[in-house]
Amino acid sequence: MNPFTALGLPARPDLTDDQVRGAWRTVAAQTHPDRADGGNPAAYAAATAAYAQLRTPWGRTEALADLTATTAIPPPGPVPPAPARAIWRTLAVLPARIRHGRPLRMAARAVIAAAVALTALTVIPGTASAPAIVAGAALWWALTARSDLAPPPGR
Amino acid sequence: MSVWGLLRALAVLWLLRQGLRLARALIVAAALVVLWPVTITAAIAMFAAWLRGWPPARLYRAAAWSTVMTAVYLITAALYGRGWRTVALAPVRDWQAASRLLEHASILHAALLMVPVAVPAGLVVGGLAWTWRINAISTGTAGLSPYAPAVFDARQWRRQVRAARGALAAPGTVPLVTGAGTVPVGPVIRAVARRWTPVLAIPAVSFTRHMVIVGSSGSGKTNLMIRLWAGWYAAAAQAARRGRPRPLLAALDCKGGPDARAKAARTRRVLHGVGARRVAIWPDEATVSLWDIPPRELAVLLHQMTEHGEGAAAYYADVSQAVLTMAVCAPGGPPRSAAGFLERLDPGWLAGAYADARPAEATALRAAGPHLGDIQLRYATLLNRLGPALDGPGNIGDADAWYFILEGTREPSVAEAQAMAITELIAHAATSRAAEPRAMLLAADDYSAVSRRVPLSNLYERGRSLGLGVMVSAQSWQGLGADDDERYRIAATADGGLWVMQTPYPEPLVQLAGTRRVLETAHKLIGATWGDEGTSRIQHAWTADPDLIRQLATGQACYIHRGTATYVQIARPRPSALPLPAARTPARPVIIPPARATGNGHPDHDPPTIPLPLAGLDDVLGPGAAP
Repeated sequence: MNPFTALGLPARPDLTDDQVRGAWRTVAAQTHPDRADGGNPAAYAAATAAYAQLRTPWGRTEALADLTATTAIPPPGPVPPAPARAIWRTLAVLPARIRHGRPLRMAARAVIAAAVALTALTVIPGTASAPAIVAGAALWWALTARSDLAPPPGR
Repeated sequence: MSVWGLLRALAVLWLLRQGLRLARALIVAAALVVLWPVTITAAIAMFAAWLRGWPPARLYRAAAWSTVMTAVYLITAALYGRGWRTVALAPVRDWQAASRLLEHASILHAALLMVPVAVPAGLVVGGLAWTWRINAISTGTAGLSPYAPAVFDARQWRRQVRAARGALAAPGTVPLVTGAGTVPVGPVIRAVARRWTPVLAIPAVSFTRHMVIVGSSGSGKTNLMIRLWAGWYAAAAQAARRGRPRPLLAALDCKGGPDARAKAARTRRVLHGVGARRVAIWPDEATVSLWDIPPRELAVLLHQMTEHGEGAAAYYADVSQAVLTMAVCAPGGPPRSAAGFLERLDPGWLAGAYADARPAEATALRAAGPHLGDIQLRYATLLNRLGPALDGPGNIGDADAWYFILEGTREPSVAEAQAMAITELIAHAATSRAAEPRAMLLAADDYSAVSRRVPLSNLYERGRSLGLGVMVSAQSWQGLGADDDERYRIAATADGGLWVMQTPYPEPLVQLAGTRRVLETAHKLIGATWGDEGTSRIQHAWTADPDLIRQLATGQACYIHRGTATYVQIARPRPSALPLPAARTPARPVIIPPARATGNGHPDHDPPTIPLPLAGLDDVLGPGAAP
């Protein structure tokens, strides 16, 4: 079982000893078999085991290591590239990258780009410049909004 | 020719020259007016570059990107009207239409019509004009006074710093590693003798060479080092997914103290964020075994770990070395623990081990016999002082990263011996054929604190020969080595680059970047004012300006590499806020146990004392808590 879940803690590397001890005390107070209602011995045992594992920074490192994906580093040898999967993975994390980045600034940039494009399409319709300005505004937004995205996981 | 005729000829010549000058100015003015869309864009671009401290390269890059707009414009023009002439004359037609609209005060309409052509052209013209302006000012041929170059440079530096700091605010500007495997360090403030890029990114291959970091206390050295470690780790982990060896980082914090613990915890957090699984902090949480070192090397190391005198003491040093070699390389195999080793420094044990010894060994044993007690006492004291963290069951290869804390300030002699042992263990891990090959980076922060007996250059040259990257830091030029010879040996062989942060004596370091040719202009003094006549000559100036380095603010660094200097604003290392994906395969079981004793007596070394498991609810919440 995930020891972080057993203590109701997020699986993060920056937890402190006090946070872990506090979480364990809370769970233990609610589930201890000495309680009048008999508690929840199974949950208490799980929390105690989790606390034993997470009480030191090194223990947390170990527990976190069990949860993170770097075991996926394969043994030495050629790995077939999977561009389609990479693109899909990039797109899948995009909403989270926007959320953890600067979404308001990105939105502001999008509004400016849209306004410029709309102005061009309204003021000079039917000219070669209008679609060019729309393309230019979209490109400007794409180039400048990149820095507003949070880096992908692991970077 | 008469005097009158000569005067008339001179006057005609002067008028002709002035006329030509006026004509040239008029032609330029006319061109600027006629090409008003380009002129306006160029003026705006140049003003923005001046205000933000941008180099011309930035305008050229923007021009290159905006050609996409021009391409769409030309494609659309081709779709609207057939024939290449229509396409080629489309900008002229639009310019005529825009000029007519301008006459009718339709400014927005006119501007929009010209944007696809005027923007790239204007940016290029603005870039050229800005280049000319910078050259003119810095060579002293423009500006209102001879102080103009210095004033201009100082002002532009301030603006460049402000722009670089502004770029740091964007979360995606400086990730810890790029998709291409380079390690971004921070936005570029100024690039000298090198092509400008918005962000300085170090290729991962530079880490397999050697890097030197020099910066005073408080200059931001820690941030830089953690960023480089994390970036290297992330880049190496990316490479590992493509079948290259897994990364292993070994960082030696040679000063120690409470700061080191905070730094270790921060390093661990950042490394976790880039996918490191096990980040071991030595000696507080994890141990290594000195006894993993092959017997011959172990005997030499144990001998080197003790202080040796000169003169008559050299004799005892030889005796000690002979005994150590016999004890460690005994027929039954090397010792596996400190207790096992000390047990061997006993006449009875050695006699038993070498019962079938050759005559030479038996003679040596007999000769060393009277000294064995002293040698045992000496090594018992040494191993006791080193603490139990070098006598544990752990192995360097068991973790993804090690953070070794050596108390170099508090206990220099102990820290020196520990540093020797740890570097030997790392060297063993790098060369052991039995172990999994790993991409290794050995980073030593303030190594000078423990380098009295293991000079930094040794570490450096050792790393080179073992094929592992070495990164060393010092607080000053003097901290790099005992004498100038050693300092130059370290700094001059830093193929991976030299990071110079704020330091009061950067001269020897900036020499390694070399000089560049600049034009220096002298103005002729007429009375009490500077006239418009003077001389120019080619001079050599430092590529990395030592005065600028002395004035660097916290978090700014000058990266010297292959005759170039890049001033950079170091970005604080923060891994992505996005969680790493969940593991698909379980991790290996725990193999590094925590340190089991009190280390060096530092309160932080003590192992946790919370009793587990707890017996009752009172033990959890205090007496009387049980309902």
